[in-house]
Amino acid sequence: MAFHKRVLTRRFLVGLALVVGVIGVIASASYARTTQEEVDGYLIEGRLLDAQDQPVVGAVVQAHASGEGEPLAEAESQEDGYWVLLLPEISEESLTITIERPHFESQVLRLGQADLGVLEEEGIYTFGELILKRKITPGFWAATIIFLAVLLIIAFEKLHSTTAALAGASSIFLVTFIAVAFFPELYIFSFEQALTYMNWEVIFLVMAMMIIIAIIERTGIFQWTAFQAYRLSRGHSWLLVIILMALTAVASALLDNFTTMLLMAPISLQIALALGISPLALIIPEVLASNVGGISTLIGTPTNILIGAYAGIGFSDFLVNQTVGVVLALAVMAGYVLFHYRAEWRKQSGGISPKLYAMLEENARLEDPQALWKSGVVFLLVMVGFVVGERFHVVPAVPALIGATALLIWLKPDVHKMITAVDWTTLVFFMALFIVVGAVQEVGLISFIAAGMSRLVGDNLVLAMFMIVFGVGTLSVVVANIPLAASMLPVVEFLTGSIPGASSDVLYYSLSMGAAMGGNGTLVGAEANLVTAGITEQAGSPISFGEFLKVGLPVTYLTLTVGFLWLLIRFVVLG
Amino acid sequence: MTTILRPTRGGEVTFPNQDRAIALAKERGADLLLLYVSNVHFLDRVAGPVLVDIERELDELGEFLLAMAQERAEKAGVHTESVVCRGQFREALQQVLEEHEEVSAVVLGAAIEETSVTPPGYLADLIQWLLTEYGIEVILVDRGEIIEDHMP
Repeated sequence: MAFHKRVLTRRFLVGLALVVGVIGVIASASYARTTQEEVDGYLIEGRLLDAQDQPVVGAVVQAHASGEGEPLAEAESQEDGYWVLLLPEISEESLTITIERPHFESQVLRLGQADLGVLEEEGIYTFGELILKRKITPGFWAATIIFLAVLLIIAFEKLHSTTAALAGASSIFLVTFIAVAFFPELYIFSFEQALTYMNWEVIFLVMAMMIIIAIIERTGIFQWTAFQAYRLSRGHSWLLVIILMALTAVASALLDNFTTMLLMAPISLQIALALGISPLALIIPEVLASNVGGISTLIGTPTNILIGAYAGIGFSDFLVNQTVGVVLALAVMAGYVLFHYRAEWRKQSGGISPKLYAMLEENARLEDPQALWKSGVVFLLVMVGFVVGERFHVVPAVPALIGATALLIWLKPDVHKMITAVDWTTLVFFMALFIVVGAVQEVGLISFIAAGMSRLVGDNLVLAMFMIVFGVGTLSVVVANIPLAASMLPVVEFLTGSIPGASSDVLYYSLSMGAAMGGNGTLVGAEANLVTAGITEQAGSPISFGEFLKVGLPVTYLTLTVGFLWLLIRFVVLG
Repeated sequence: MTTILRPTRGGEVTFPNQDRAIALAKERGADLLLLYVSNVHFLDRVAGPVLVDIERELDELGEFLLAMAQERAEKAGVHTESVVCRGQFREALQQVLEEHEEVSAVVLGAAIEETSVTPPGYLADLIQWLLTEYGIEVILVDRGEIIEDHMP
């Protein structure tokens, strides 16, 4: 036993020494190469930016002796827009630097004798920051048309959102790889460039949360809580709707709106029928609350996940900066729905039979208390991981992945079932969407929108907040809010960098509020609305477009106003 | 003893039609067979993470909805059974009719709107199919009133 232990220890030490050795060799080789590069030759450098001061990546920079022939040196602009040319020697009287990048005007720079003198003397010549001007190419129109077509197809439900996004991504590649053979100006971007627009942080966070939620969902906690709300309200339907709205909002902040409504709608329908009121008087307020409740956390809405990953806004940032606004918006919403459905609160039945009550209780039972407390502990630790991780620059996907794995190990559910519980259509939707939005970003559509917005709002932060909250909110009424938010992110990034006082990320919070609250405007405004309508239809209580609009649209503008006022107080008045 | 089959979704809109089916069963001295068919086709139209066993949730919902109707029928002195199925309505109906050969009449709700189990275009086909394939009476009801009675 002791011998076996010694052998293992020796193997471990040998392994460790090997790893350290390999790292050392790689590091020293890399250092040697860098040092040699620093010594041998002359450097010409610069930084490329677009009109919105965003770095231009992937521009090809070449140095030519007389502007023709083989280049003397070539480089590509990096993530931060920097490029460096390394010339082995200076034997010319002048140098021409050409900068080329699809969807931008080409630029030609000249280094005369005096400039070359500086280069020879100092070993380096700096052009500083250079602005590359955008160019509208046929590729621009192709990408824009495809992007708009995807939005319209999703809005009019002509195809499943995932199919629509995939069709968009495929069309982008079809144009950029096939059509470009006949008309090179149609070029949009390379496959490698398309992949750089993929936000893997979002994909992994969504995937990990799906596994966690799939495990928690099986415990029946949400149905049980809804039943407790029914008991607590003691037959007062007006009280029940308030409790259910609050419960849905909290659940939606921890899960996502879609899952929340899948869980809450069937049991709420049963409760409404038991009370003798229209199920829609409970269900519509619930779905409205779920769309707003999710705003208060990073994981509450898909748009928040996108915003958080893009802008580096953490779980606690959303919680601290949005929760009060969300609570106020929910209070106003509750007031409105109580007024709108006032006739329903008066027409309750005398209660249900003991048999039906027992059935309702049975349908809302806790399935697996053991799994519930274990998944509760892990879920809580994941939340703590989100908050603590922010201090150590750990992206939220990491605690979520660790939590999902911990649950799989601890609870030992059927892994195959759990993995198939991951909704791949949603993940594929995100991936395809990133490519489509990346295409319009690449060709410059987003830059033009950003420039237009910038001209419109100038340096006025309040106006910018207003435009984003109400503009995005209004668009979200008819346009799917995920693609809308994804395409607005670079615009908000530019405005955040250019408007004084916007560095607090207030414009990202405005985007979060607008995109989520706008989803309440119509039945097609959010996926949660559509799935709820599907469930109520199954129970013979369909939600018509007009019926939803009558409640949803006023609630949308009331909550947008409250949300805007809260952001104004939080970021402008209180600073 | 004959049986009247009443497929229903169980919402408040269908209560008068359920009551008519109960009254018919009582009048004819027949049993009542209530059928609820859930179909998750609506998930095909939406792009959201379906992490919930929604079919199980809808089964429980269906059982509850039928139990409400069953209670009313039993109060009226009509013996009732209920069946919850998943999938396409016609296939479910076919399965139930094959398992319950004693069914002599089917009470269908008139198509009130596009979202009904039996939208307008579908209903005529369904009635014809029931008459020719199974040779059973089909009674069409709307807001609790019989509007058509198709004899085989």
